[in-house]
Amino acid sequence: MNRFNRDTIIAVILLLLVGFFAYTSFGIKTPVFERLAPGQMGPGFWPRIILAGLAIMGLIYLFQSVVSPPPPGEKRGGLIGWYRHYKNPIWCFAVFAAFLTIIPVLGMLIAGLIFVFSLMTMLGPKDGLAVKRHVLTTFGTVGGMWFIFACLLEVQLPKGQLTGAFDEWLLVNVCGIVSSIGGLFADAGPSCSALMTSV
Amino acid sequence: MIFDNIMMATSELMTVSTMLLMVVGVVAGLIAGAIPGFTIAMAVVLVLPFTFGMTAVQGLATMIGVYVGGLSGGLMSGILTGIPGTPSSVATTFDGFPMARKGRPGLALGIGVWSSFFGGVISAVVLVLVAPQLARIGQEFQPWDYFALMAFALTVTASLAGDNMVKGLIAGLIGLLVATVGEDAVVGVPRFNFGSDAVQQGFAFLPVLIGLFAFTRLLSDVQDKKKAQENLGAHSAESVRIEHLKAAKEVLSRWGNLIRSSLIGVFTGVLPAAGSSISNILAYDQAKKYSKEPEKFGTGTIDGIVAPESANNATAGGALIMMMALGIPGDIVTAVMLGALLIHDVVPSPTFIAEQPTIAYAIFIAFFLANFIMLAMQSLTLRGFVAVTRVRMYMLASVILFYCALGVFALNNVQFDMWTLFWFGVGGFILRSLGFPIVPIILGVVLGNIAENALAQVIAISTDPTMFLTRPWSLFFIILGLFSSFFHVYQKNRAIKQWTLCFIPAMCLFLSIPVFMMEGIFRPVLGVGLGLFGLYLIVQRARSGWKLPNAEPVMEVGDL
Repeated sequence: MNRFNRDTIIAVILLLLVGFFAYTSFGIKTPVFERLAPGQMGPGFWPRIILAGLAIMGLIYLFQSVVSPPPPGEKRGGLIGWYRHYKNPIWCFAVFAAFLTIIPVLGMLIAGLIFVFSLMTMLGPKDGLAVKRHVLTTFGTVGGMWFIFACLLEVQLPKGQLTGAFDEWLLVNVCGIVSSIGGLFADAGPSCSALMTSV
Repeated sequence: MIFDNIMMATSELMTVSTMLLMVVGVVAGLIAGAIPGFTIAMAVVLVLPFTFGMTAVQGLATMIGVYVGGLSGGLMSGILTGIPGTPSSVATTFDGFPMARKGRPGLALGIGVWSSFFGGVISAVVLVLVAPQLARIGQEFQPWDYFALMAFALTVTASLAGDNMVKGLIAGLIGLLVATVGEDAVVGVPRFNFGSDAVQQGFAFLPVLIGLFAFTRLLSDVQDKKKAQENLGAHSAESVRIEHLKAAKEVLSRWGNLIRSSLIGVFTGVLPAAGSSISNILAYDQAKKYSKEPEKFGTGTIDGIVAPESANNATAGGALIMMMALGIPGDIVTAVMLGALLIHDVVPSPTFIAEQPTIAYAIFIAFFLANFIMLAMQSLTLRGFVAVTRVRMYMLASVILFYCALGVFALNNVQFDMWTLFWFGVGGFILRSLGFPIVPIILGVVLGNIAENALAQVIAISTDPTMFLTRPWSLFFIILGLFSSFFHVYQKNRAIKQWTLCFIPAMCLFLSIPVFMMEGIFRPVLGVGLGLFGLYLIVQRARSGWKLPNAEPVMEVGDL
């Protein structure tokens, strides 16, 4: 028998989650007015089959983790060691969550510019030259992608509460030019028009 | 009828816009494949949002272009820098890089390019010949058989996790559970939405896929701060010219190796979730075994480039066979394509070729054409490859993460999808860090609803569970699933433990039962043959006193 290791803890968490979902699955009820026909599968049946499979696999996993040696890569560096190991991904998630939070306020374009620049500067070098490179890359790539989606694919990207007027101005002036060029192509011939539409 | 279908598909495919999209797709695939650490699947996933506004044929043709380009792009960095651009080109570096270092980079690249081309064309021919036949068999499937087939696909995927098979199965089941969130297909009752209206609709496939796959992958790539800031590769290729004519002659003169490796590729592609990362190594291994000069492998021999490159491109054909004939993804890329089909309201199933002949034949033709486009574009993208390798991973990751959010939003114009992407990214990263494979989760998400519908049909027809054992195809897949689950254990203990001598004969004997039960004359005869072969193996091994052969150490698929 072996001491509790990472796998044991995960297996226990997994089994607890399975228990929680199994409990929730009994709350899935067919409405009275929608009575099941004879032989019709209830909405909770399939999830319960999956949860039963997960419970069996979770128990095997728990058993394996207790009887077999701990995984070779398992390090014990405490919370600080764990943070150091996963520092970059944790910050990426944090910046991404912040980006999603500010989209309704600043709109997709400006929030995207802030997000890409912040992430690059956080993950990469921070000297003057690198920061200049980050600024250029951010404007080139985010601007380019905004242009493709907003103007060419005509996706209604989120506008910000604070920057709505600016977003609108960009759409009218930048995408307006593109559509007028597209119109010229359409006049030139149907094949060019098809090309522009698909691009 | 077939001619009409081909004509319809050709007219839809052979437009300027679709051809241009295919060229762009192939070039994008070649560049993406050349970037070390950037997988083909990720390239195809990232192309998916662009295909929303296209027709199903245009979207699939573009994705096939990326797929074929990506499979070939990996060889450029593998041969020139020794760092494979994708796992599909790992074995190419064994001989490609030494040949380049010996001063023949142009020939090495040429052999890689032409092997990829011939491998792709061979698998395209197999695809066209086999997929409709397999689909005809697929039309015999009843819900029991289809459900068993999906259980088999998930089991095989999980078993490819090697030593972590239990984790693989848990991952597959988690994927199935994710697919149950939202309204159920039968009566529309919300499940596991915990009062949220947004979750009640269920999770859209794309945010889940990108979150689990691309997000997780990118964050793993930037986990090490030092590596994230390094160039992806640093090698000059400006002066390299591909020696096309000589390379084509050399590849064709090794036709035996070419065909064998291509067929290995096709077969590996047919197996659910066993993709080109496995086929290239298997083909290299076989080429070495069959070679008259095995000692030259690893020093820059031509056969060592022909085998992996023809096999990895041929895998695409195999994966497409499964997708088109049975509606089961052969690998992660075809799983994404299935998702793309669902976005266009085309439900993949064994009747796909019969019900959607235009799309099906367009896929055949697009796959065939993509190989020619790849051949033409490979030389042109060499300079692009050099430029791409100067990019740093952290910059690429930052830009792609933004693109992921943008692409996911474009699907339904719903901001909730971006949060779905985020939460599945977090979940996928945690699971991956804990050693759970991601591919079975994705397969579970893709197959979840299809499996549930099949089970609902099963129960609606009969509640007798023994039908799973009395129907030949269902029994066939159950037996195959059981044996493939233990295949890794068998492979690991082969030539070490005596029980492994019984594994293959037992599999033949057990599989002969459902094959014998099938209708017609040919299949029962095949079943008898399979049974007799199993008995023959048992007798042969009993005569030799159940002695273990002195086999070479075997390649462990799970470790690839």
